[in-house]
Amino acid sequence: MRSIQVDRLEKIFQVKKKQEGLAGSLKSLFRPQYANKAAVEGITFTVEQGETVAFLGPNGAGKSTTIKMLTGILHPSSGTAEVLGCCPWTERSKLAYRIGSVFGQKSQLWYHLPPIDTFELMSRIYELRREDYKQRRDNLIERFELGPYLNTPVRKLSLGERMRCEIAASLIHRPQALFLDEPTIGLDAVVKQRIRELILEMNREEGTTIFLTSHDAGDVEKLCDRAIVINHGGLVFNGQVEIMKQQFLTHKTVQLVLEDDPGNLVLEGVAVLSSSGSRLTLSVDTGLTTIESVLSALMASHRIVDVTVQDPPMEDIITRMYGTFVAKEAVT
Amino acid sequence: MLTADESYTGISGHDQPGKLRRLLRFVTASWRLNLAGAMEFRFSFLLTVGTMIVNNIVWIIFWGMYFKRFPVLNGWTLQDVMMMWAAASGGFGIMSVFFGNATRLANLIATGQLDVYLAQPKPVLLNVLISRMSVSAIGDLLFALFIFIGFGDVSPVGIVKFAAALLISSMIFIFFCVIAGCLSFWLGNTEGLSFQLFNALLVFATYPTAIFKGFGRLVLFTVIPAGFISSMPVSLIREIDMPFLYGAVGMAAGLCAGGILLFYRGLRRYTSGNMMGLRR
Amino acid sequence: MISLSKPAKYVFIGKITLRNQLAYVFDFMVRSVFLLLILYIFMQLWQSTFAGEGTSTINGYTFKQMMWYLVFTESMVLATPSLSTRIEEEVKSGDVAFKLIRPVSFLAFHYAEYMSEVAIRYAINLILGSAIGLLLVGPLPVGVGLAWLPIMAIGGFTVNFMLGMLVALSAFWVEETRGLEFVYNKILFTIGGMLMPLELFPESLQRIGQWLPFQTVVYFPARTAVGMHLGEITGAIATQWLWVVLIGLMVWLLYRKGVRKLNVNGG
Repeated sequence: MRSIQVDRLEKIFQVKKKQEGLAGSLKSLFRPQYANKAAVEGITFTVEQGETVAFLGPNGAGKSTTIKMLTGILHPSSGTAEVLGCCPWTERSKLAYRIGSVFGQKSQLWYHLPPIDTFELMSRIYELRREDYKQRRDNLIERFELGPYLNTPVRKLSLGERMRCEIAASLIHRPQALFLDEPTIGLDAVVKQRIRELILEMNREEGTTIFLTSHDAGDVEKLCDRAIVINHGGLVFNGQVEIMKQQFLTHKTVQLVLEDDPGNLVLEGVAVLSSSGSRLTLSVDTGLTTIESVLSALMASHRIVDVTVQDPPMEDIITRMYGTFVAKEAVT
Repeated sequence: MLTADESYTGISGHDQPGKLRRLLRFVTASWRLNLAGAMEFRFSFLLTVGTMIVNNIVWIIFWGMYFKRFPVLNGWTLQDVMMMWAAASGGFGIMSVFFGNATRLANLIATGQLDVYLAQPKPVLLNVLISRMSVSAIGDLLFALFIFIGFGDVSPVGIVKFAAALLISSMIFIFFCVIAGCLSFWLGNTEGLSFQLFNALLVFATYPTAIFKGFGRLVLFTVIPAGFISSMPVSLIREIDMPFLYGAVGMAAGLCAGGILLFYRGLRRYTSGNMMGLRR
Repeated sequence: MISLSKPAKYVFIGKITLRNQLAYVFDFMVRSVFLLLILYIFMQLWQSTFAGEGTSTINGYTFKQMMWYLVFTESMVLATPSLSTRIEEEVKSGDVAFKLIRPVSFLAFHYAEYMSEVAIRYAINLILGSAIGLLLVGPLPVGVGLAWLPIMAIGGFTVNFMLGMLVALSAFWVEETRGLEFVYNKILFTIGGMLMPLELFPESLQRIGQWLPFQTVVYFPARTAVGMHLGEITGAIATQWLWVVLIGLMVWLLYRKGVRKLNVNGG
């Protein structure tokens, strides 16, 4: 069953052109000039119910804009979309009963009040049946381990605690699809991991569709089956996360500790990422050379104390993907 | 993979009958939360409420002294001026206490803070307006009630008239502010302009309509409809002037319809604060 | 780095500075709109009142004088910065006791800061208020009173400083002083004569007002500037400075007591 269907969705913002200098500022005050800036340029994709999808792209690629159109916050310039069979912007209210959303930067918790009060308001907003609400609330409190700070004003909670409350609040009406915009931003590694586990749990147990944007490669790797990548408002990749990794995993990272300082190292297909004395981090392009030949070339002239070979972090893969597409664009 | 329709059991009763009752539940829940938030800082709560009352008393003293020296001002007496203050500060109080985001709408629109409300299944404008309570305005509301008890006609007819005056006055305040705030959908951040418009309405609503003539008077019954608030004491409370009443009700209804229309029109242009991110 | 020629550099710096001033410009515009609004309304009010009375003067004030009186009082009140905000901060952090041990230097320091700030803001407000006054009611007949305004204003602001300090220093004993400052400001509005000259007050209130320091702050300078009570200028100035000394003494005592309390309690 289709959960999300997007067809040639487009969003164009009118941006006031800012002119140079004070004279320009004054001029634009009285006679503003507008330029069209396409934030999302005709993207098409579908998501099945129960899928976990990462929506990726560099800053300003149109990720947030897309997610806001899918949740009915923004009206598109053209194109269509259907979420759970509803058109988000014309059937906003009807859809809102069935989806949940978490915007990392814009909290729905009441800042001066304890989370339990926000939950109570949520139950009124979503018109939950009393008994069901209480059961659901207690279940989420247990699952997200919110007990200890349920009665503490939100302003006194740490960022991680707050985000857990935030996600719990967005799940209180048992949505069929959950949209998350940068859910782990600013959190430390342990908290990030916990939040990912919780989201995944909801997906496994309740079949909730998960659609998230993130800058964090870990979110993608640990949480999502599929990745959709956009850049400059257009779709550049749509497929399994595993395939994305294979396709773009053309480099390996080799960390070395040598007995002596190797000086200037020049090898085909090898780039030195960092070096401090005898410690080296290399990036090896496996299309041009092999790890074996690089290591044997090194052993011929140096003694190796320690070596580790790793896949580069997801972060680098994504960055490289953008790079590849930018390069392709430049050629064509 | 799960197929949603079979496994999904919603826990929302939103498709059941009794929609209005549940909407009222939501509104009162929001107000209760607002008040609870204000009570978090009990001392400053009492202080701000108190200062607002003092602020208004200053004007009572001013008018008291004025009318001691000049008994009548173009047909207005001290009692009329008192009732004018009751209608104006009461209307302002109702807006700021129960629909406290009305004066902040321009800022909310320009900085993209409507997202949260848009993601919730409730009428957006209502949800936005009731999500904030101005604590100091509780002082204005109490002040209005004190003045009415002290200077007004506390008979059944008098109470009905005063309630009608408060209703019309608060409607004008709320939807005038909504319209002023909606300018932000089209003109970018109009926080300063919107506030000045609201401020002009508030200031003009607290001076006897009778002192304004010609063009000034025309403005007060059109662009800045403060005249409909400040005329209440003579044209509704003292004795009912039907043409005035039609005008006031018409203005309140017009602003209400216009404000709602403008807001939902504007929502289509809402940029969720993305404009700023795109500035080059 | 782009190297700029000297003139270009100054133009550049000038533009940046000007843009930084935009915040002040905005504040200035808000103040102008507020002044314009209030003066327009009071113009209507006094016009109606004069027409109602059917006389050319009310308690000796002509319509023009009444309006210009308001220009002078509003300009003064809008020029005063909040002492409470500043002092409360110092008291709570304990700086008040350690930075400046002797009360005289503490007072002198804040007085200098206060007066220099007031001077600029008052000048700007006067220019603005006068422009609006000229626009709405026309020029004020120039007289000797106007020449005395600077001196009377210094006296008025000094009394205001002392009274403000009295309120601000209560921060040693109470949690919040801004509420009190607010109430004090409202006293200036009414019995201080900001909204209308004391002569128009009921007899009994006038008599009480004469024994209080509030009349010396805005009422004295404004009435002199519009050319009233010209015979009483020396007396008025003497009254101002008498109050300065009296309240100054109270402030001094309050400060010493407060610092001692702070030291006993260990801040």
